[in-house]
Amino acid sequence: MDALNSNSNVYPDAGSAGGERRYPVEFTATAGEYFRIWIVNLALTIITLGVYSAWAKVRKKRYFYGHTRIDGEGFEYRANPVAILKGRLIAVAAVILFYGSGKISWQLQLASFGVGLFISPWLIVRSMAFNAYNSAYRNIRLHFRSTYFQCLKLIIGYGLLVIITLGLGYPYMKRRMVQFAAENHYYGVTQFAVADLKKIFLRIYSNAIGIGILLGIVAVVLTALGATTLGMEMRRPTGTFFIVQKLFGYVCYLGIFAYLRARVANATWNSITIGPVRFECALRALEVYWLYLVNISAIILTVGLATPWAVIRTLRYRAEKMTVIATDALDHFVAGESTQVAAAGEEVSEMFDIGIGL
Amino acid sequence: MNKFDAVYYDGKTSARTPVQVQRLGNCLFVFGPNVTIKVPIGAVRADARIGSVRRTLSLPGGAQLKTDDHAALAELFPHANRLETMVQKLEQRWHYVLVALVTIAVFSWWSMDFGVPLAAKIVIAWVPINIEAALGNQTLATVDKSICGPSQLSAERRQQLQSNFAVLTAGLQDGYRYRLEFRDCKGVGSNAFALPGGAIVITDALIKLAENDQQITAVLAHEVGHVRNRHGLRLVLQGAGAAALITALAGDAVSITALAVALPTILLQTGYSREFETQADTYAFKRLKEIGLSPKYFAEMLTRLEAEHAAKKQAADEAKSGKSSDSSTTFDYLSTHPNTTERIQRALANQ
Repeated sequence: MDALNSNSNVYPDAGSAGGERRYPVEFTATAGEYFRIWIVNLALTIITLGVYSAWAKVRKKRYFYGHTRIDGEGFEYRANPVAILKGRLIAVAAVILFYGSGKISWQLQLASFGVGLFISPWLIVRSMAFNAYNSAYRNIRLHFRSTYFQCLKLIIGYGLLVIITLGLGYPYMKRRMVQFAAENHYYGVTQFAVADLKKIFLRIYSNAIGIGILLGIVAVVLTALGATTLGMEMRRPTGTFFIVQKLFGYVCYLGIFAYLRARVANATWNSITIGPVRFECALRALEVYWLYLVNISAIILTVGLATPWAVIRTLRYRAEKMTVIATDALDHFVAGESTQVAAAGEEVSEMFDIGIGL
Repeated sequence: MNKFDAVYYDGKTSARTPVQVQRLGNCLFVFGPNVTIKVPIGAVRADARIGSVRRTLSLPGGAQLKTDDHAALAELFPHANRLETMVQKLEQRWHYVLVALVTIAVFSWWSMDFGVPLAAKIVIAWVPINIEAALGNQTLATVDKSICGPSQLSAERRQQLQSNFAVLTAGLQDGYRYRLEFRDCKGVGSNAFALPGGAIVITDALIKLAENDQQITAVLAHEVGHVRNRHGLRLVLQGAGAAALITALAGDAVSITALAVALPTILLQTGYSREFETQADTYAFKRLKEIGLSPKYFAEMLTRLEAEHAAKKQAADEAKSGKSSDSSTTFDYLSTHPNTTERIQRALANQ
């Protein structure tokens, strides 16, 4: 077998137009294969009383990363499961302390919330550093370089802005946090650059608020209609009306969520450049919404068994809508110095669902 | 077959070099344009295989080889990552997958039915009573904010019931500070509930429904049973345990947060379990006899509650079919306390 020949099949030539090469992002994982990985992960996690969950996480991520390919090569997830296990133990203790304190008294809850506020910048920075450091493409790691104080300044400054403006300042905060996350990433030694996102984020969020108000009006009208036709029946917390009302609220919430997901991802990725590389991300809000609705219905109807299928089709959709555009071959990125990062920040922020999604 | 195609990344730049790899003796040879490497096979680290994901060989010094030739690597590195190789074998065969599925199903069913309640039962042994009382006060504050207002009963009536309650709880010496709270709660009908730590809330509607004070004392004895057996705390812990379990099982789903928020509330709405009710009833019968009352009062009270429940239900059904526009809520004591007939029979048998 001739090495050069067989490799040219594995690594097809990218389409080029006007000096730019376009590399579509491929996602080659299959639901059947992931179903088996997922179910074995779950069973082993149960049998080992949760200890295996760290290994499960690494196998899952390695599977997804490996099957996400650009120019024929997949990504690599290199995290050490033992580091993740340690992080998880710390995270579990933090969750118990935080939610437990809330059950006992609001003063304690307030205190732990305050402590959490000052820990969260550390968590965000550490978790992004951990994820970046353990992600590699073509044997070159990503890095995240920022400091606790930079992140704290953003959180306190923009947090106050959000409070003073009664939430209306949130798009500013989100935009600044996304920018912070993106521009402190490096691929090897090449730093990410981000165009200004202010205008486009403002537009996205005012649209979302508009949609929200519209749906709110629909909900009020429907509730009023229900109240006049059903009378007191609707007050019963287990009645049909109550359930329909909750369901409607959930479906609306999901719509706004899908809209924000799609538009924020597009805006962010389309504004990032890494050296000679830029991205084209073209998610459609309605398609994302439909994807979520089908996923949730399928997961509920199959008592969770459709979860792997749902995850794979979501990731495939996202990959299909993403293209890497480079003015140069992808061969010239340079690795750099690297220092290891512990997993505690990543695990704690995952449990509390904090962090900045890109 | 110890010769295979791979791609070489030196770890310094992102440049890609197609190479051929061959094993000769104890060494691995890598040949390609501008690349010739000889490395002892013991110094090469192979990653664990995961399905069809391309394999990675790490060479000393940070370089990498990537290949899709799974068969060649299996032959070259048969002993790499023992644990994960075993896991990979499980993932490959559908009958192991079936075993995993059954394991998960059995475990989910077992833990919802036995595991989580058992864990809650074990954990409560470590929760001090004053923390439980704080939890109860927190709940009472929430109840006051959302569904209950101050009682409309006269001060003398309340005084009377308080002294009955004092007789009921006198000399229990179980560490709980029992206190009776009167409330007027529109949403929950004729009802009484025990909060963790010793507070027992009784609604005006229930007091009015009772024919005599003995019947009220009988219901309160049952609630004392809930307090002593720490059922409120167990319910809270079971809810948290169920939420944690669901999050762990469904943690992969697209929107975990939404799922985690929605499900535990559904689980919690079912109220006390049959086991808790039986336990509280058993205690109530014993305690009533100790203070010289017959458990028949408890049976009488349940019968009255059931009659009221049925009447309300009928009214609600009529309202639904449009015969009457006036109906009040059917949510009451019996909605949170299941299987009444059986309990009435037990009370009568325990006289």
